[in-house]
Amino acid sequence: MSGAVDTATFKERADMALADRILKVAVERTAGTAETKRAVAVDAFPDFEAARDRAAAIKDHVVAHLGAYLEEFEANAIAAGAKVHWASTADEACRIVIDICKAAGAKSVARSKSMLGEEIGLPHALAEAGIGRVETDLAEHIIQLADERPSHIIWPAMHKTREQVSALFKAKHRSPHEEETIAAMAESARRELRTQMLGADVGISGANFLIADTGAICTVTNEGNAELSLVPPRVHIVTAGIEKIVPSMPHAIHMLRMLARSATGAALTQYTTFYTGPKRAGDRDGPEEMHIVLVDNGRTKMREEGLAEMLRCIRCGACMNHCVVFRQIGGHAYGGTYPGPMGAVLTPVFDGLKQSRDLASACTLNGKCQEVCPVRIPLPTLLKGWREKSWREGLEPTSMRWGLGLWAWVARRPALYRLGTGVAVRAMQMLGKKGWIDRLPLAGGWTRYRDMPKPAPQTFMEQYRKERRQ
Amino acid sequence: MSARDAILSRLKGVAPDKAEAEALLVAPEQPMVDERALEAEFLARLALPSVSASHDAIETIADLPAAVARYLEAQGETPTLCLPPDPRLNGCDWSAFTLHDAAAPDEVAALAIARRGIAETGSLVFETAPCAPMLPNFLALHHIVLLPVRDIVAHLEAAPLTGAQPRAHYWITGVSGTTDIEGTYVRGAHGPRFLHVILLRAPVA
Repeated sequence: MSGAVDTATFKERADMALADRILKVAVERTAGTAETKRAVAVDAFPDFEAARDRAAAIKDHVVAHLGAYLEEFEANAIAAGAKVHWASTADEACRIVIDICKAAGAKSVARSKSMLGEEIGLPHALAEAGIGRVETDLAEHIIQLADERPSHIIWPAMHKTREQVSALFKAKHRSPHEEETIAAMAESARRELRTQMLGADVGISGANFLIADTGAICTVTNEGNAELSLVPPRVHIVTAGIEKIVPSMPHAIHMLRMLARSATGAALTQYTTFYTGPKRAGDRDGPEEMHIVLVDNGRTKMREEGLAEMLRCIRCGACMNHCVVFRQIGGHAYGGTYPGPMGAVLTPVFDGLKQSRDLASACTLNGKCQEVCPVRIPLPTLLKGWREKSWREGLEPTSMRWGLGLWAWVARRPALYRLGTGVAVRAMQMLGKKGWIDRLPLAGGWTRYRDMPKPAPQTFMEQYRKERRQ
Repeated sequence: MSARDAILSRLKGVAPDKAEAEALLVAPEQPMVDERALEAEFLARLALPSVSASHDAIETIADLPAAVARYLEAQGETPTLCLPPDPRLNGCDWSAFTLHDAAAPDEVAALAIARRGIAETGSLVFETAPCAPMLPNFLALHHIVLLPVRDIVAHLEAAPLTGAQPRAHYWITGVSGTTDIEGTYVRGAHGPRFLHVILLRAPVA
C-alpha cells in the first residue's frame, strides 16, 4: 500500500481492496469488535444522547469563539514556559518542527501517534531532514516497519493479520519473538522500542485537547507510549490542529468521556495526561523545552465555507467502524490521511475536490455514521454538499452528466418512465436466481462483489394501481 | 503577515462569554456512582477486565513496606523498589528492600502516592513535583500505588487542581495495554503489566 497504490484512482484502490480477502477479514475483526464494545458502553451510560448534544454544543461554542480561545491558550501556555508557534500550512508546520529538531541537534525523535502529524506529512519531512524517527504506538511501529500508511485513525494497522505482523517482526526486530502468539509479538515490540524511546533526543506528539484556561495539552493512549516518548527526551514538540481547543478542564472531561466510549467502548483510556509547560525547578524528569505548533492547514477555510460542523470532530473513529463501505474496502482505498466518512469529508479539503470527488459518491448515505458520531456531525449532509459542489464545478465525468441528463429527461415523461421501469423489472426477474441476481449487464461493477436482491415481479406503480382496482 | 496574524485575522469574532461556557457544564451526564459507598465503587471498577488492578489495604503508612513486600513476594519478585523522594514515605522502615531513587529501563517495581482515586472509572490521579517523578510509573513492570481512602472521589470533575497547574497531571486507569494486533488485548504493551493499589485507611501525615 505504498507508492503504487497512492497514484491509483479511488476505483482502482477499491477494486484492489475488494479483491483482498485477508483485508476484509482483518477489517471486520477489529471494526466489528469496536462496534460491539461501543454499543455496550453507550447502553451503560445514563443519557448518552443528551451527552452527545452537550459535546456538540461545547465544540460549536469553541468554533464560534476560536480566535479568542486560541489567544487565551497561547498566553497560558507561554506563562507555563512553553513556546507557541503558528503554522498556516502543512509545509510551514513541518518546517517549524524540523527547525526545532535541528536547533536541538536531534538525531532521533520518538513519535507518539498523531493523525495531525500524518496530515501534515511529518514522517516524510523528518526523513528528508535526515532525522531518525521511532514510531512508538505499536500499530504505528508495525506500519513504519512495513513502510505503509495508517488504515484507521485508532487502529492504524487494522489491515494486518497476526501472521503478517509476525513475519515483519522476525525480519526487522533485533531479538524477535519465538512463540507465535500475539502476546509474544507485543513483547518483541516492547523490547525493541523501549531503548529507542529512552534514547530519543526529541519527543513529538499531537494533542487530543488544548485547554484554553491552563495552557495544558492533553494526550490519551492505552499503551503509555506517549508518556515514555515525551518525558525522557530533552525537547517535547506538540503539533495540534487549532480546533482542538476546549475552554477548560471540565469541558475536556466531558469530551474525554465521549471519546473513549465512542472509540474503543472503554470508560476512559488507560493513560490520560495533561502537560503544562516544560520541566520545573527541582523536577527529576520531563523535557527542558516544550514547543506547541498550532496548525491551521485549511481549518479556518472550513469554518468560513460551510464545513464548521466538521471542526467538531474529535477523531474517535466511530463513523468508520460503523460504515458499510469502510467495512468492505478498509482505510487505504480512501487514499487520504483520514479514511471512512470523516475522511471522505476532510480529504477534499486537504487534497482538492478534483482529486477526491469519488469519495463522496462512494457513500450509501445510510446515515449510520451520523447516528454514532459523539458530536453529531451531519456527515451525510456534508458529503452531499461535496457532491453538489462537484456537479456545480463540472467535475463529474461526461458519462455521469449524460446519464443523469437522460434519466431526468425520461423522469419528466411518466408514461415513458413507467414503460422503461416495467421492462427493466421483467428483465431482472429473468436474470434472478433464488431471490438474488449475481450477474447484470451494464452493472458488472455492482455484481462483481455482491449480489443484488431480485426485484418484485411488478413495479411499484403497477402494484399500486392493482391494489386500487381491488 | 505572520502565520499567527493570518490565522487570528480570519477567526475574529465575539469574545467568548464565560457564562455561556460555564452553562455548558451544568449537570453534566456522568456514570452513576453511589457516593455513600465510594470505596466499594472504586474497588469494583479496579476489578473490571479493562482495569485489572489488584488491591490491598493497610491501617497506617507504617504498614506500607510490609504490604509492598507481601505483594512482590506473591508475584515471585525480589524486594527491590524504585521509591520516590516523597517525605511522606520517610517514616517507613524500608530496610528489607533494595531501593532505587531513579528507575532503570527494566525496573521491576515502582511505588507512587496517588492524589485521588476516581470511583467512576477506577482511575488513579497523579501530579508531577520534585518529590513525584513521572517516569518510574511508566517504566516499571509492577506499578504499586498508595491511595488514602479519603482521597477517593466520585467523578473525574474532582480530579484536577484549581489554580496553578503542575507540569503534568495524569490519570492512570489500569495497565499499559494494546489491541493493535487483530483487536486482541495484550497487557504490558510498553509500560506496567501489573497495577497494585494499596488503600490507606488512616490520613497520611
